[in-house]
Amino acid sequence: MGTTASQLGKDLLSEYQELTFLTKQEILLAHKRFTELLTKDEKDLPNTRVPAERILTLPELKSNPFRKRICHVFSTSEQKDGSLTFEDFLDLLSAFSDSATLEIKSHYAFRIFDFDDDGTLDCGDLEKLVNCLTGETDETRLTTEEMRQLINNILEESDIDKDGTVNLSEFQHVISRSPDFVSSFKIVL
Amino acid sequence: MASEPWRQGSREVYDYTEGNGYPGDQQSLRLRRVSSRVSNQNYPQFDWNPPPAEKNEEGNRGQPRDLRGSPLPMALKRAVRQVQQMQVPVVSSRESWKRKKTKSLRKFKDNARGCRSFFTLWSKSLQKIGGNFGGGVQSYFLFLRFLVVLNFVSFLLIAGFVLIPSIVFRSVGDSLVNSTGPKECMDYDPNPQGLVVFYNYFLNLLSGTGFMEYSYLFYGYYNNTTVEDRNFYNIPLAYLFTAIFYFAFCLICIIARMGTAARVVVVTGGSAVGNYSMIVFTSWDYGCLGDRATKLKQKNIHYRLQVDLEEESIKKRAAALTLCQKIVLYALRVSMCFGSFGLIIAAFYGIFVATDFSQKRSGEQGILGLIFQYLPSIVITAGNFLVPLLCDQIALIERYAPSTTVIVALLRAVFLRLVSLGVLLFTLWSQITCAGDTKKKDCTLCQYNYKLYPCWETRVGQEMYKLTLFDLLINIVVLVLVEFPRRMVVDNWSSKLAQWVGRQEFVVPANVLGLVYGQTVVWTGALFCPLLPLINTIKFVLLFYFKKITLFYNCRPALKTFRSTTSTFFFLVVLLFGWGLATVVMVYSLAEIHPSMGCGPFRFFPSMWSIVPTSFYNLSEITQEFLFFIGSQAFSIPLFVLSCVVMCYFITLASVYGKSVAMLRAQLKLEGRDKQFLVKQIEELSRQHQLLKHTAGAHD
Repeated sequence: MGTTASQLGKDLLSEYQELTFLTKQEILLAHKRFTELLTKDEKDLPNTRVPAERILTLPELKSNPFRKRICHVFSTSEQKDGSLTFEDFLDLLSAFSDSATLEIKSHYAFRIFDFDDDGTLDCGDLEKLVNCLTGETDETRLTTEEMRQLINNILEESDIDKDGTVNLSEFQHVISRSPDFVSSFKIVL
Repeated sequence: MASEPWRQGSREVYDYTEGNGYPGDQQSLRLRRVSSRVSNQNYPQFDWNPPPAEKNEEGNRGQPRDLRGSPLPMALKRAVRQVQQMQVPVVSSRESWKRKKTKSLRKFKDNARGCRSFFTLWSKSLQKIGGNFGGGVQSYFLFLRFLVVLNFVSFLLIAGFVLIPSIVFRSVGDSLVNSTGPKECMDYDPNPQGLVVFYNYFLNLLSGTGFMEYSYLFYGYYNNTTVEDRNFYNIPLAYLFTAIFYFAFCLICIIARMGTAARVVVVTGGSAVGNYSMIVFTSWDYGCLGDRATKLKQKNIHYRLQVDLEEESIKKRAAALTLCQKIVLYALRVSMCFGSFGLIIAAFYGIFVATDFSQKRSGEQGILGLIFQYLPSIVITAGNFLVPLLCDQIALIERYAPSTTVIVALLRAVFLRLVSLGVLLFTLWSQITCAGDTKKKDCTLCQYNYKLYPCWETRVGQEMYKLTLFDLLINIVVLVLVEFPRRMVVDNWSSKLAQWVGRQEFVVPANVLGLVYGQTVVWTGALFCPLLPLINTIKFVLLFYFKKITLFYNCRPALKTFRSTTSTFFFLVVLLFGWGLATVVMVYSLAEIHPSMGCGPFRFFPSMWSIVPTSFYNLSEITQEFLFFIGSQAFSIPLFVLSCVVMCYFITLASVYGKSVAMLRAQLKLEGRDKQFLVKQIEELSRQHQLLKHTAGAHD
């Protein structure tokens, strides 16, 4: 089943409402913004897959330092190129929505931060993460000494089983102590 | 839990590559996941047969709930749902009714949430502010919105119970008590004599005198009428109870709002500086729009990390101080503390003198008279502006850690602001009641100083009204005369001085204290000036727009962010201080001071509270007995015991949860050690296996 150009069927809409955390208005708005990204001939095809470059022109994602990782994580394509169908897009918005639970947000946050996709956050992942957070330019990067001290502190605080990496449950433990995470892990169209 | 199936799937793909002899970089304790070529390797493997225990617990809750929260792509979720729908064969009618009910309840909740977001005030503006300036500044505007709603609802309360009945029953109804007092005490004439100069209207508007004094704005206009014939309505009683209920209602709102913030603070165990993993994992705001906001946020985070790392090294250095240096530092801190207290006390003395002077010269006319009337407000504002600046300089000498400096500065400023208001009220009190001594010459006749204050409640109301207006005027004046020019100078004049001064920074704590101060003034004055909440609502709405304008046009964002949830809690705590001060004033005025005999709804009562016993005896016998019973010991002691028991239960529950969290954490550590042990065993075995193969090969 796919979504054709201009309208969403009523039962499809209610199915999406059941399977995601989005309200009806949010789904309709997402559909509108998604179809704006399609070219004319793509609009007639069901279930089109939009390449990552076009998704990244959305203003909500354009300047996000994690934009490529977000597209990669939510993409269901075989080639792992970060392209999204409309349903992938809805999954993305659902995880980033107002009413999504802490578990699902922390789960996806973990996958976004896991730059090498190996299921744990090791020193390389953490370093790339910190660089994304502070900006890639030379003046905003931390010095190597500061980076080393920071990564040591992070591992000391959150690596409970002392294996040198942060796994999903340790990550979720840290997240659960933060009061601001749910409200900041939010993308609203 | 939804993450469990994923872990189940991932465990199946673990491969211990140590046996293959990767040199060097493999640490034997590390478990690596082999990147399999399966295309959906990163997707959680959903367990198609739900475990029986889970099914019993969650199956009744409505499985769609489970599905929304499972981290699967849409196609898989749909497939699972189809399977689940097929898997529901024989469900009792009760089950299906329950499930339908939960489904419709959820739909109703979703619709309600949609409606609520439609009615929320200013949500788009707040989102824009949060995206561009961060959570700290947004928390200020959220607090302002909360105060606007609180004031508006309180106004509706007061209007419904006091204002409208007063208007309706103005000419109807008879006086409650028909006694008279000494003639001099009842002499109250607020209307000006003769021709009034034109600009006097403007002065009257600003100071609440003249045509504004004898109006619904102030206490003096309300009558002590009670309507008996068709509908029973006792206006003085309504006035009193509305005032008391208004305070209780505000307290409940603040505590309810604190409850959500406090729960979070308790769970997170406070915000520890140097909580690096929290900063790195949770501080990115995905709602940031635009390159500029993103770069800003990145600079913010960079600054935060640098500051925390630096504070850590400062702490290490401070721990390494010699004894002599420590003594010097502490002596310095103590003396600076005394210095700041001295400054604050000097400010208080200044306010006291100014209020005294202003009250003595209150009869003057014209512009000079207006200045004298506003003198307390001017001195308070000047003090509130200068003393924190000086305290900031003092704080530099004290050399606390940066986070401690912020808290210390805030506490000092709170102390200054609220107690300066207290000093003003104290001065007023000492003049109204001749410093509590009713034997003094002026106060013997009417129990209050009738010469200076024929209607003292209206006077107090006027003071609060003037404070509110002056606060708003000062904000507007500072906006127009200081902030806009500063931005124009900094933007257009590229000299070193201009760059050093820089654009304005939106300092959240100082602004929040301004709001708390304004709200405390309103609470103090609400008993004497019933329309003050309405005026305050309008003032705060105007303030919202003015502050938003100055934020977007004149300010650059603060580099040091204010943590948003703990700061909300702190704002509400400070608001409670203000509420406490206002309650003390209200209780004292109700119980102790003799109401004016010339005006107001309580004019012939010895105190405002005494209307309650009087009306009490008008109630029916049964009601009286019931109320006596509730107040008696036979009822209140069991109630007290019951509430102690309930409190003990909740405290025990909280400690049990805390212990179980600690226990689970320890268990997690143990499991990690088990893993390491097993890995070592496997290494050992595989090494032995290799050795055996080697020797077997060598033999052949």
